[in-house]
Amino acid sequence: MIPTLVAFSLLAAFLVTLFETLKVKEGKIKAVFLAGILSSWLIFGYVTTKMPLSEIIGNHAKEAGIQVSLDIYSFYFILAELILFSLVAVYSMSYFKQRAKNGKIYALLLLMHAGLLGAFISRDLFNYYIYMEVASVSSFALVALSDEKGAKKAAYKYLAFSLVASYLFIFAIGIIYLKTGYLNVELIKSSVVVSREINVALAVAFSALILKAGIFPLHFWLPDAHSKAPNPISALLSGIVVKAPIYGMLLLYLALPIEESLLNLLTLIAFSSMLVGVIFALLQKNAKRLLAYHTVSQMGYVLLGIATSNPLGAIYYAFAHTLFKGGLFLSIGTLINAQKTKDLEKLTYRHDKILMTSIIMLSLAIGGIPPFIGAFGKKFLLSNLNGIRLYLFYIAGIGTLVSFTKLNYYLMEPGKAIKSNLTQKVLSLIIAVLTLAFGVYFGLVISYRDLLVILVAILTFWLLQRVGFFNITLKKYFGESMEETGREVNAYMVLFSLFLLVLLLQSF
Amino acid sequence: MINAETAGIMIMLIGLYGLITKRNLIKQVLAINVLSTGLVLFFVGTGYVENAEVPILPQQAVVDPLPATLMLTTLVVDVAITSLALALILRMRREET
Repeated sequence: MIPTLVAFSLLAAFLVTLFETLKVKEGKIKAVFLAGILSSWLIFGYVTTKMPLSEIIGNHAKEAGIQVSLDIYSFYFILAELILFSLVAVYSMSYFKQRAKNGKIYALLLLMHAGLLGAFISRDLFNYYIYMEVASVSSFALVALSDEKGAKKAAYKYLAFSLVASYLFIFAIGIIYLKTGYLNVELIKSSVVVSREINVALAVAFSALILKAGIFPLHFWLPDAHSKAPNPISALLSGIVVKAPIYGMLLLYLALPIEESLLNLLTLIAFSSMLVGVIFALLQKNAKRLLAYHTVSQMGYVLLGIATSNPLGAIYYAFAHTLFKGGLFLSIGTLINAQKTKDLEKLTYRHDKILMTSIIMLSLAIGGIPPFIGAFGKKFLLSNLNGIRLYLFYIAGIGTLVSFTKLNYYLMEPGKAIKSNLTQKVLSLIIAVLTLAFGVYFGLVISYRDLLVILVAILTFWLLQRVGFFNITLKKYFGESMEETGREVNAYMVLFSLFLLVLLLQSF
Repeated sequence: MINAETAGIMIMLIGLYGLITKRNLIKQVLAINVLSTGLVLFFVGTGYVENAEVPILPQQAVVDPLPATLMLTTLVVDVAITSLALALILRMRREET
């Protein structure tokens, strides 16, 4: 029953492409598209009543077949995917209205949907890789759709790095297969003997997945790709596509014993990602780039959950991040669509009460203020931390709030009142309300300490502004031409190789 | 003599070298293809069993067929992404001129 979650959207992708070629009316194509996205809800609703559930496709023996499961490890990923994807599907129908031929976009979106769902249910390393790749390939193409200058270059960089990372990931799977003889997560766990080869495989696999998840220092492709993609696509990329590698890390965590030294190194990477992401975000003047750098920082939180052997923390935080980051990209994207600029100083939401409410709610959610959902994931992550790690965690949290104080400060300045699309506004509000609703459902309550945290953040923002911190402009090392793109790929590939080497050497 | 796995890893490293040193984007795509070829060789090598037969008819000893089938899937992904990358490079060139 579980595999049918994926089947219908794949079928719909095929039908949409077929109808487009046969010149069927736009309305019918849209209907098939929506049916493909929403049919997953029905199956998901039916399957969750029997949770936890696990089955082998085609009823083969466990050793020969592919196992898919729906339990606590995949439930929240799938729920987040379905919520975000349904909202973005409606949003993109209004966003791409001006374009002549939309069938290809809908087909790519359906393929991405199928790829993500397939990745989140699989318990077989190779099957997981194939589905993640289906989602990635469609996202490369969707980034390249944007008419903005530099979007093709961003898509190329995203493709090159993501592809190299994928190959290294399969290489790691190959080593695991060579040593254990299985690809199934549970069978690997039951038969694995810790050896040097397994440690090498873990190091290679983790560095590949860290690149795919856009975690510092391997985040270089992410700000370009996520900020130059069309607005609804950015919401998907930042919201859920970067979560697929995180699910891969969870599978590795479930399958293999990870050494203490690798976990410590991952904790270090997580903290540096959390802090560096926030610092870069603070310096951005482009609204979408600011959000993209926050993704780098927030993915650090999710990695922290895995690095501190706290998978539930990672899962809940990933769920929360999908909702609020997707929502932020949608609501700020709505402003950008109407006002035709990404410059933070020119954008404004002063005249628009709906967007104002949703952006403020989502900002509080990403800052981890209860009763919004972000706080629930943070509470889980905090349970395993102590000493200096705890303080670093709080500093990163306050940094995020300062950055969003900045965002709201600029957006609040009055400007020309330009009406934005009503459907897009309502969708942004729905996701903002959902972050609140899930927070309340998980039993979060307001406390006075959080008001204090907000005050500290506003004070820090004011101080930083007085010092002139926000006026620092970052130096660009690489130009726009193709030759420069080649140089950029070279340079970052060196960085990636060095990172890989560090992770490999610690395992010896 | 070196075995197929070692040769595969060496070819993968040659691909990585190409990605680090070549500025031409098309050469970079080719380097990625070299990397994937090395990977395929590595995988097929993992299924090798000495003196074993082709796994078509039931025989005494056969090589492990699973790695080869996995590589078929990877090759499909490979073709798709190579064409996408080349299309992107064409678009970039058109944008530039």
